[in-house]
Amino acid sequence: MHNVKIRNYQADDSMSRLVNENQDALLVMSRFKIALGFGDKTIGEVCRDNHVDTNTFLAVINMSDTGLSLVAVMEYLHRSHDYFLNYRLPEIRQKLEHVLNPGQDELNKAVLGYFDKFEAAVRKHMNYESKKVFPYIQALLSHEKTEKCPLIFCKQHEQIESRLTEFKNILIKYYPAQSTNEMSSVLFDIFSCERDLESHNAVEDQLYLPAIQELERKNGQPK
Amino acid sequence: MSRPIKITIVEPSLILRSGVIAVLQSLKGQSVEVFDVRDLDQLKTSPSWQRPDLLIVNPIFSLPQIKKEVGNPDVKCLALLNILLDRTLLKAFDEVISIYDTSEQIQEKLTKLLSKPLEEKHQESLSQREKEIIACVIKGMTNKQIADELHLSSHTVISHRKNIAGKLQIHSTAGLTIYAIVNKLVDLPVE
Repeated sequence: MHNVKIRNYQADDSMSRLVNENQDALLVMSRFKIALGFGDKTIGEVCRDNHVDTNTFLAVINMSDTGLSLVAVMEYLHRSHDYFLNYRLPEIRQKLEHVLNPGQDELNKAVLGYFDKFEAAVRKHMNYESKKVFPYIQALLSHEKTEKCPLIFCKQHEQIESRLTEFKNILIKYYPAQSTNEMSSVLFDIFSCERDLESHNAVEDQLYLPAIQELERKNGQPK
Repeated sequence: MSRPIKITIVEPSLILRSGVIAVLQSLKGQSVEVFDVRDLDQLKTSPSWQRPDLLIVNPIFSLPQIKKEVGNPDVKCLALLNILLDRTLLKAFDEVISIYDTSEQIQEKLTKLLSKPLEEKHQESLSQREKEIIACVIKGMTNKQIADELHLSSHTVISHRKNIAGKLQIHSTAGLTIYAIVNKLVDLPVE
């Protein structure tokens, strides 16, 4: 989340200050279903009003484990997946279609084909988490007997990020775009999606995975 | 690294200077000689310290002026960031370290900066052979098939492919397809 991290936020800091200092917090808030219009309330108050676990919210904002709730992180990730798959990526694709030069069908097909392959990889990866990892954690939390679920998702993160970076570089270096205003707008979107995806992955690698492993250890789950 | 790296720090805060020095001296496998000053005036009055390999500077100072003082316009410059700054102000710097960086991150950044001049400049244009190989790759041929087609060893094909990836910064077949169409390396792209 933080390219340049300003400081660690605490429950009694003001929510509006957090958003002003760190715009990416807006994305985090919407994934916790926190609405705007909170006046001068503190982070802790806003979280309580919106039934959000304050520690988990702060853990994601500060990227440090301050006693987070695995269930809350799961809900956060679930909404984040939904955002990428059903909003962000389709939006980029739509804009991309719009910006491609008319009359270069083969090239455009290849460009959209690249994006679709990327999107399919992200979808497969995120669906694995939703369909396999989430139920696995639910089972662990309710102490049901369950097969060990391989936590392979972290290994795929780098690959997904580098695919998007490569795609961006191809558009910048090789696509002979005629409409530069629109192309830059798509590129801005991809840059920001890239950053957003990185921070989403960081939450999974640095907060979520360690929390699952801790739970497995408590449940005596074989490695 | 055989000889110690000469680093000059320009930072008004004593606490930050001392902190940076402590981190630099704790870096593994890298010996450093650090010289630190509070501001430009102090830098001017210390002529004995010339030609550092690396400058670590608080971005509130004017970089061109500092470069002039140290007598080495090509010196690598790192910004030491302790506040949120507009990115354009950091453009003049080769790298940025935040006061929240871990020692591993700092070490990585230093190593990257100091090893840069050794790297050969990327040569962007492809050889005829490399273009032929791209055409084969996007048809979905395996390395073995490409080797047979072009009468090369598989090993040579692999090394060509590595060079192509290095030159174009494209690693995937889907990406090469786009490149090939744009640069007319193929007549008919194959699905």
